[in-house]
Amino acid sequence: MCVCPGMIIALIASAYDLIYWYLRPFIKWFLRKTTKLCELQRICYGDPHGALRTSNVGRLTVVNPRDLQTSLSPARQNELKTVLGNLGVLADSGRFTEDYAARPLAFSIKRILEVKQINPDIHREFVPSINTCLLQIYGYKQLVYSVEQLRKTAYSAANMAHEKKLMELWDCLMPLTPLESRISKNWTEIGFQGDDPQTDFRGMGCLGLDNLLYFASQHTQAAQHVLSHSRHPKYGYSFAIVGINLTSMAYHFLVQGKLKFHLYNFVNGCPTVDDFHHIYCYFFFEFDKFWLSEKPQDIMEFSRIRAKFEERMSSLLSRTGAVLNFNMAIETL
Amino acid sequence: MRRHEGLLALIRKLKTAPDRELRILLLGLDNAGKTTILRKLAAEDINHITPTQGFNIKSVQSEGFRLNVWDIGGQRKIRPYWRNYFDNTDVLIYVIDSADRKRFDETGVSSQQLLLQELVELMNEDKLGAVPMMVFANKQDLFNAAAASELAEGLNLHTIRDRPWQIQPCSALSGEGLKQPHSRLL
Repeated sequence: MCVCPGMIIALIASAYDLIYWYLRPFIKWFLRKTTKLCELQRICYGDPHGALRTSNVGRLTVVNPRDLQTSLSPARQNELKTVLGNLGVLADSGRFTEDYAARPLAFSIKRILEVKQINPDIHREFVPSINTCLLQIYGYKQLVYSVEQLRKTAYSAANMAHEKKLMELWDCLMPLTPLESRISKNWTEIGFQGDDPQTDFRGMGCLGLDNLLYFASQHTQAAQHVLSHSRHPKYGYSFAIVGINLTSMAYHFLVQGKLKFHLYNFVNGCPTVDDFHHIYCYFFFEFDKFWLSEKPQDIMEFSRIRAKFEERMSSLLSRTGAVLNFNMAIETL
Repeated sequence: MRRHEGLLALIRKLKTAPDRELRILLLGLDNAGKTTILRKLAAEDINHITPTQGFNIKSVQSEGFRLNVWDIGGQRKIRPYWRNYFDNTDVLIYVIDSADRKRFDETGVSSQQLLLQELVELMNEDKLGAVPMMVFANKQDLFNAAAASELAEGLNLHTIRDRPWQIQPCSALSGEGLKQPHSRLL
């Protein structure tokens, strides 16, 4: 019988996992005794602040609600899991905002100090460090919630606030050309499909509009620059439609957790929806450059080039040092 | 005689094609629901759809057939590219937003007139000659959706004699009326 080398490697790997699983408590005990620090402290002191530290803290502190019931660890550890699990519940229901979360967060840290027997007067760096990590970790969950709310809100022409934003978008992108009427062919000039943008937001809802408006209003020059490229006779594309497709890409990255490293490195606390918009602007600006550099035959190449672009961004974001700095990108304008 | 050519060819293909593969082309105006139908046929999530820039393609298994479904963007700017996808099409699916009664374009042409115009042009394409057509009267879940019979009349479908055709009321959201578009034509 032939045994392929892949199987042997897989066997060794799983044996290693098994041994590691059993040895881990002993290793932790040994390190705790020799360094007089618990694992959380070793991470907070040893790992540089940002994605590496926060994701390692996350590995230890984010609890699956399922594990809460089935966990076999000692009662005190279980209590920590409950306390941290409550932060997760807050974030998943959209209540982990900077002011609302302050007290539950302070309480969680107090319990961590007690359970792990850490004296905050001696370990002064620990509290601010773990505080930032927890804000980043549960703030990310909160951001997923907030962004999802925007996405789920369908664009409605009957909603004055929505309509006002749509008009603002036009004014930012086309300051010299007044819109002829609300229903107008003009909309195709900024890349909507027909004479009423309402139907183009679709599954991205108000998130698509907010993304576009943030780009056009906060980075007007860059947005107009990209818009002018999109109207190129040969390499043109539909600005707004492509923008809504990029909203979809950014949204899926967020939900899949792919924006964690960047946000942990970039925001020293709770990330906000504006931080998400910032990432979107980076994507749009970079996509435009990428599209032109690919020299597409025509617009029908969009799916292929978009997929390639997505792969690039995904690999960029997978590095622990990932930082998407949009302001750096537009300096080359 | 001629009106059965496409149907006969399709039956022959269904019976004899060793690969049992069909190329299905989804066309229609923007916001008709083509991508939602495509994803529903592939049993994928339909809550995160975006407007189609360019095209999407998916292979779907259905009753032992492999359906290669091409969903081409419906935006006016993209319509001139439709013809690039006509070759070797086995079934044309034309999707209509049955609830879109009020839309008039800038020249005062109603959406139904626009549909009619687009459809006449498609029917005159040589490469689509005798290709069986299924018209999906989509969005039947909306309260103001026109009945399939009303649409068929408005679009003069009964005047189509060079190919088998059928109009099917459906809702891409619920999936009602979408099953086996190819076998319904038989």
